Amino acid sequence: MIQSQLFYNLKKDKGSYISFGIVILITAIMLNLALVLVFQVDRAYDNKFEALDTATINVCIPQIQDTDTLKDDIKALESVSEVECREAVFLEAVVKDFRGTDFSMNTVFYNKDESRDMNKLDIKEESAESTKESIYLPLYVASFGEFGLDDEIIYEIGDKKHTFLVSGVLEEMQYGNYGKGLMGAYLPKSVYEEFASEYEEHMVTEYSIIANDNTEINALNNEISSLLEEKSITMLTSCDKASTKDTRTMVCNLLILVLLAFALVILLVSVFLCKFRISNSIEEDMVNMGVLKALGYTGNMIIGSVVLPYLMVTLVASLFGVIASYGILPSLSELLTLQAGFSFRLLFDIKGFICVETILVFIVTVFTYTAAKRIRKLQPINAIRGNSEGKAIKKNYFPLEETHGNTKLLLVLKQMFSNGKQNALLFGVSFVLTILIAFASTLFYNVIVEPNNFISTLSEEMPEIVIYPKEQHEATIVSDLQSNSDIKTVLKYTMGTVNIDDVPVTVFACEDFSKVSNDLCYLGENPDEKNEIALGSSFEGKYKLGEQIEIQNGDISCSYEITGFVQSVNYQGNVCELSMEGYAALNSESIVPSLYVYLQDGTDVESLIADIEEQHGDMISNQVNYQKMTETTQEMYAGITSIIVIVIFVLTILIALFVLYIVIKTLLVQRKQELGIYKAIGYSNWQLMVQVMGSFLPSSALAVLLSSGLGLVYVPQMNQFIFQTIGAMKNNMEVSFTFLMIFALIQIVVNFIISISLTKPIKKISAYALIKED
Amino acid sequence: MAVEKEILISAKNLKKEFRMGDTSQMIFENLSLDIYKGDFTVIMGASGAGKSTLMYSLSGMDRPTEGSIIFSDKEITKYNDDKLAIFRRESCGFVFQQIYLLEKMSLMDNVLTAGALGKNNKKEVIQRAKELFELVNIPAVTQKKFSTQVSGGEAQRAGIVRAIINNPEVVFADEPTGALNSNNSEAVLNVFTKIHNEGQSIIMVTHDKKTALRGNRILYIKDGQIFGDCSLENYKEANKEREQKLDEFLAEMGW
Ligand SMILES: Nc1ncnc2c1ncn2[C@@H]1O[C@H](COP(=O)(O)OP(=O)(O)OP(=O)(O)O)[C@@H](O)[C@H]1O
Ligand SMILES: [Mg+2]
Repeated sequence: MIQSQLFYNLKKDKGSYISFGIVILITAIMLNLALVLVFQVDRAYDNKFEALDTATINVCIPQIQDTDTLKDDIKALESVSEVECREAVFLEAVVKDFRGTDFSMNTVFYNKDESRDMNKLDIKEESAESTKESIYLPLYVASFGEFGLDDEIIYEIGDKKHTFLVSGVLEEMQYGNYGKGLMGAYLPKSVYEEFASEYEEHMVTEYSIIANDNTEINALNNEISSLLEEKSITMLTSCDKASTKDTRTMVCNLLILVLLAFALVILLVSVFLCKFRISNSIEEDMVNMGVLKALGYTGNMIIGSVVLPYLMVTLVASLFGVIASYGILPSLSELLTLQAGFSFRLLFDIKGFICVETILVFIVTVFTYTAAKRIRKLQPINAIRGNSEGKAIKKNYFPLEETHGNTKLLLVLKQMFSNGKQNALLFGVSFVLTILIAFASTLFYNVIVEPNNFISTLSEEMPEIVIYPKEQHEATIVSDLQSNSDIKTVLKYTMGTVNIDDVPVTVFACEDFSKVSNDLCYLGENPDEKNEIALGSSFEGKYKLGEQIEIQNGDISCSYEITGFVQSVNYQGNVCELSMEGYAALNSESIVPSLYVYLQDGTDVESLIADIEEQHGDMISNQVNYQKMTETTQEMYAGITSIIVIVIFVLTILIALFVLYIVIKTLLVQRKQELGIYKAIGYSNWQLMVQVMGSFLPSSALAVLLSSGLGLVYVPQMNQFIFQTIGAMKNNMEVSFTFLMIFALIQIVVNFIISISLTKPIKKISAYALIKED
Repeated sequence: MAVEKEILISAKNLKKEFRMGDTSQMIFENLSLDIYKGDFTVIMGASGAGKSTLMYSLSGMDRPTEGSIIFSDKEITKYNDDKLAIFRRESCGFVFQQIYLLEKMSLMDNVLTAGALGKNNKKEVIQRAKELFELVNIPAVTQKKFSTQVSGGEAQRAGIVRAIINNPEVVFADEPTGALNSNNSEAVLNVFTKIHNEGQSIIMVTHDKKTALRGNRILYIKDGQIFGDCSLENYKEANKEREQKLDEFLAEMGW
């Protein structure tokens, strides 16, 4: 019995249900993608860790400091279950032509053929013949750097170039990604031996340690560092499973965050929509419902016939949404594989499916039921007469006689004010959608229009050129460069590694931090004096401004006063800043800083590098076009950002379309007779379209403008939140008011165009039908 | 005397056919008719004879299947929808049986909403609306009420004010008293008589003899044709003679 009523409802309002269904479908896609990532990515890492017997923690120490008993000593530690050690070469190398630029990173070269019980290598590709200079690359280096099998790869160490041939690509789980600034490279036995013989002073011993089952990684970390400290052994690198996972999943976690936020917003919009639709259909169907009640149907039966169509649509749409999301997953996995450094396939997830269905059905039920509840209170006789509270007219807004102004304009105002509910809905939806647009447009602005804002947030100092001078020529070349009119500034800058609390920490040392282009300091000040230091964000909990801190570098240790805290996305906050003299104090030999060169606007970097090479080629060991490197990074982000911005835009417009569709449809149904009367009086289609649009567009336009304006306040907060989750305590993202307004205007124009096409059916309402009805 | 009258609407060879899927229904065919300026023309006929259909064709609210309608030299059958809307706005006023006032506003605002489409400025429109409300005996307090708060007769009189606010060439009324009790009917009809005597052309469809008496020309539709055409003097007051003449005409028509 009630089924026929239910199908009547479904059929009567087909368009609205379809719109609602599509919005739910989009929600389900996002939600399911996020959930599949949440449920599977973490497990994929753990499985891979297990499959390759990855050590809990890997520590490198200089080989000369290694002792015969160290392995047993480590093994004897309380939290340690197993230890394995092997030799390797650890040094800073510049990889040439890495995605078209030179990439400098700390690299650990291993003998690939040495047998391993831990940190096993999973060789994915291998070329048939092995040449003398073959090298096996981790998947990141290969895929990010764009090195294929049998390609050449050049590592520049000091001023010596080593050319290898890529003979294999492998997956390993020991290192993070470039964010950690530490990477492995794997050479066949003979190649390794020859290579190692050249760099004896860089030989290290790596201890791979597996912890007892229930040991905290931090506790293990502490035990190992105190053991090494006790024995005055320098810890060169330390790399644990947890931080490896963290750096590798950064992009994935951001993605999950964004997907969830979107799903939430869209879900919010969709439930408001169905609530709105239900209240209106109760008005429209009042008589029908009264008759049903008079016939003896109970309130719940009628509520069921209103709520069930929405539940059915939700069930079906979310099912299709889940299915559709699996169409997107492969490309998503591919994107994440690049980040993860191992390929993983995301599989059908019954848990995710059940979650999506339950969440959506539950929320839709709650909202539709509360909206439909008042059907129960409906008295049949009142319902038949069409007397519901909703229909009672409360006020004659803007009485035409007394209010000054154009009558046609006042009619629009009348409409606007007597449709308060609909305007509130549109205002809310437009406001929320604009938040997404404002966020997306700011991202767009900072990545594509002002790329430095974004890049500098994610990186350290960014000169245009980095020059590595030969020691004896440093002074000459500095003064020569400074007299070059194309060059704005030359800054001595160097990077190194020291130990703070036995943790390896990357040092940024500069002769004058007031001249840097990217001020990393987010709290306090940069170091200026010899005895001053600024620490990375990871130390913020442990130390306070003004405190003294002990820093080690090998056998030398010095004490510094903490003047500030600096951020670093790439080293997870394990960094510090020292003045050049301050850093020199930690080194027994004199340091040769690299020269960071900043150019006047509009100078051609390539030709300047060529000039410098020509004039000073014998005085320098290397030059890096840093600007090119920045550009490459920017291109990468620009690609991703453009996709995000386009997706957000398309989604917003789609949602706006569905919301407007439902609102306008409802309006036209409700006002059919009224519009007929207007037509009979002689109002033209266009006048009526303007009147109808005028009754709701201003509120949505106002919401868009207001929300865009407020973007100046909330977008920085959103950015702050997002960047903090990835470790950037302060970000250089700018919110451009002009840009916000441009996007707001686009949005308003799009809404206008959508509205015009949706109000077209007014043409089909005829004054004549008015007379013929009833 | 009728010969000297100026023709307001001239319909030639009108045909109206309703198609419903495979079947079709012919309402009238080859119907020609002239309506004169200043006349209070009443259209009568059996239910379903096509009275409303004819009237709405003449007013440009509906389109005949074939034939032409010339309305003060303008061939409105050639107009598109927008042009027809402008034509209606400038030349026609409508009074409906269901009255159809806009629910969300007062009687006054209903009238001003129509008045906004006319050529006069707002002040003049308000002035004229007040005069017309006075003419139809609706006091200022009632003018401010919503259509749902007034009696049917008051609503319909406001409907007439709305119809004539822009000085239309002709007022079309389809059973304007059909939904009213006799007291209210009387008041509404008095308004029609009043404006007719001031020179307003009126075309009215009715079932009711008493209503028809107010006209000075009665047309009777039957079998898709103008079956009869009866002229009367302009109405001054109810009198036996006039009533008898109409009775005879209607008897002849088979009423
Ligand atoms: N849109 C339509 N589609 C099909 N048939 C229609 C349509 N409009 C009117 N008709 C038919 O045309 C005929 C004439 O209708 P019309 O409304 O003109 O009659 P009427 O003389 O005004 O009757 P009444 O006195 O009952 O108002 C009727 O039989 C009606 O069923
Ligand atoms: Mg009729």
